[in-house]
Amino acid sequence: MTSATATDSVLSKINFYEDRRGILSWIFTLDHKRIGLLYFIFVIAFFFGGVVLGFFMRLEMVAPGGAIMGPQTYNSLFTLHGIIMIFLVVIPAIPTIFGNFFLPIQIGARDVAFPRINLLSWWLYISGATIVFFSVFTGGGPPDTGWTFYAPYSLRTTVNVPLAVFGVFVLGMSSILTGINLVTTTHRLRAPGMTWRRLPLFVWGIYSTSWVQILATPVIGITMVLIFLDRFFGVGVFDPTKGGDPILYQHMFWIYSHPATYIMILPAMGIVSDVVPVFARKKIFGYTAIALSGMAIAAVGSLVWGHHMFVSGQSDFANILFSLLTFLVAIPSAIKVFNWVATLHKGSIVIEPPLLFCLSFIFLFSIGGLTGLIQGALAPNVHLHDTYWIPAHFHYIIFGGMGFGLFAAFHYWFPKMFGRMYNRQRAMRAWVIMLIGFNIFYFSMLLLGWDGMPRRYYDYLPQFRTLHLTATFGSWILIAGLILMFSNLFHGLFKGKKAEDNPWNGVTLEWQIPSPPPTENFEKIPVIQHGPHDFKELENNG
Amino acid sequence: MDEAKVPVFEGGIDYTGAKLGMWLFILSELLLFGGMFILYAAHRYKTPADFHNASAELDVILGTLNTILLLTSSLSVAVSITAIQKGDRRLSMVLLMVTMALGLVFLVNKGIEWTTKIGHGIYPNSPTLLARPKGEILFFGLYYVMTGLHGLHVLVGVCVLCVMLILIAKDKISPMHFTSLENSGLYWHLVDIIWIFLYPLFYLIT
Amino acid sequence: MESGEEHPSKYSTYVFVWMGLVCLTALTYTVAVRIHPGGWAILVALAIAGTKSGLVLNYFMHLKSEKPLIFKVIIPLVMAVFLVFVLLTFSDVAFRGVVE
Repeated sequence: MTSATATDSVLSKINFYEDRRGILSWIFTLDHKRIGLLYFIFVIAFFFGGVVLGFFMRLEMVAPGGAIMGPQTYNSLFTLHGIIMIFLVVIPAIPTIFGNFFLPIQIGARDVAFPRINLLSWWLYISGATIVFFSVFTGGGPPDTGWTFYAPYSLRTTVNVPLAVFGVFVLGMSSILTGINLVTTTHRLRAPGMTWRRLPLFVWGIYSTSWVQILATPVIGITMVLIFLDRFFGVGVFDPTKGGDPILYQHMFWIYSHPATYIMILPAMGIVSDVVPVFARKKIFGYTAIALSGMAIAAVGSLVWGHHMFVSGQSDFANILFSLLTFLVAIPSAIKVFNWVATLHKGSIVIEPPLLFCLSFIFLFSIGGLTGLIQGALAPNVHLHDTYWIPAHFHYIIFGGMGFGLFAAFHYWFPKMFGRMYNRQRAMRAWVIMLIGFNIFYFSMLLLGWDGMPRRYYDYLPQFRTLHLTATFGSWILIAGLILMFSNLFHGLFKGKKAEDNPWNGVTLEWQIPSPPPTENFEKIPVIQHGPHDFKELENNG
Repeated sequence: MDEAKVPVFEGGIDYTGAKLGMWLFILSELLLFGGMFILYAAHRYKTPADFHNASAELDVILGTLNTILLLTSSLSVAVSITAIQKGDRRLSMVLLMVTMALGLVFLVNKGIEWTTKIGHGIYPNSPTLLARPKGEILFFGLYYVMTGLHGLHVLVGVCVLCVMLILIAKDKISPMHFTSLENSGLYWHLVDIIWIFLYPLFYLIT
Repeated sequence: MESGEEHPSKYSTYVFVWMGLVCLTALTYTVAVRIHPGGWAILVALAIAGTKSGLVLNYFMHLKSEKPLIFKVIIPLVMAVFLVFVLLTFSDVAFRGVVE
């Protein structure tokens, strides 16, 4: 059986932007890089939308009493903020943008296993987003249940829950298909010599994530269907007046939504694992531990969902079990943090924006993780549940962790994707501003929660006003930093200097091809002879 | 883990990869239904007597017949695929039609069951049902949702097999290229497996 | 690489599997409707259903003859995942009202 590894088609000489032009060649493309960029545009657009919602939430909360909106609007704001950020931004972002763009290249392939399914995934994403947006303007108005859609309120409230949960269902289908695509791609399309142990750790991160997407997402799929069916047909599975059990709803919801948090963080951890060695000029400390701890996080992380339900009426026995499991899942995460720090130790550190975002990831994620342990213990949880402590915790993890990891990826892979470089100083300035604003904002929220400020509350007692003021102030600084960062990137996109093929001296395959890459990625499929961290200096030093 | 193989499908088609993709999709479907099985288990545990009583109202004969129909349809689709592998196009097409027919009869039976129940006033949110014990309300709620979703999957399967039939007729499926038929068969067997569990859990509660 | 496995199964294999499936169906029906095993009923029913599924998976769906390791892993994997979901859910559902 011959393997035609050389292709002298012109497709491997021109870059993938020049290949075909016009909007139709983009929205019906089969090129994984174009699909990655299509996601890029919309994920960022939805992120801005979510930030705007958050901005107005914080504006309302700057002082007690109504300021700029009524309570119903506030409830809808935090619901939409959650739905958009979680389902349209944080869950898809890294797998669909960078997983799509870079996983095939990093394993030495020309595309994903199922390019047409990849396009379908994107169209489902757009459709799901459209459906969610329609729910804002139709059928009684935007949902006010929180992104968690708890029954029985979600069965009774007169706003447009059905459309919103249907949108979530469609988005779930998109996610599942992406997971199937990337698992199959990793198994089947690795270049000769690209053994599992030579895979970049980003690939391992995406691979573990994809398994969670395949196995966990269907559960929220069916849960959303059941909410939908209950509202239209009165099936009653979660409705106490018909013998249903609202706590069962919470089980079904969190069986997905907790692993979903690992769908959010594992790819970002994969990015950190790829970036840190490049800017420490040193092999990652404990490659196998990092690779396998990702799989362990995916596995054990699927067993802890009940920690969202400690005060729901769940049995004591389940509470104890879930709390124990929650403590266990911290271990593989801690292993990663330790290994990243050990990689930096005695490395030749190169200070560049990607590394800065990774360093802040490690710091902010650690705070998030430690606060998670505190709330994962049963007794503190009684006091902390449904207070500001909880959103503070998860913003440290999701925003400080995944968000900063995403920004690291933006700054790391920007030259490769666009063939241009952004302004380094401005990027670092934006990073500092964001880091300061972030901590003023979310640390204040930790304190608010500790003091008992309830979450999802439109109003509050005067004793909380100082910390709320501080938090809102911090949010403005954070947003200023975001604006600076994104404007720097946009500017670089159009006016930035032309970038070299390998500005960071990385060893993984994406740095061995032109910036931007040609359509077929490689002229010839490479034969791999070493792992992802064989930096030249290492060879020179013998 | 194994050494990466030379990508022999450069320019060709990776059949094993296509199959793997289909299997991963099947896993997701298993968990989609699995979610409902979890709910079934929890509710049956809570109200076992109600489930027993409600189950007695289902038509065991029809349910058993439907089980046999689907099992036979799995046979026919499996043989259909082997037939095309052996180059027996005609047999393959005939068996595909048999599979589709069995699937449609299954759906007709389901329709009869449903309309009978609805005729007796037993459907979600009906006054008759709401007057019953809570466990029975849940039983029938789960019955309609689970057999309904399953039926939808059967219908989709019939459509997919129809497309495969057309592809065989047009020679797009052949002894050398039949992965799409094989994958369609996998989907059909999935639908059969789900029913293998639905049947005892709804019809045979003693 | 050719499509599918190297040797297509014999027609007779399929027919024997089908006969086994029909027999198991008859068995599960008989046990439920005629024997009334009480508390064991659900375990027996699930065991028989599991056996039937195993036959469909291994012979009709050719899992038995698939070579790459991943195919051997996925069904046990999904079973394990599902089992864990059920057990952990039951750690709540079956222990409500039990004060630790």
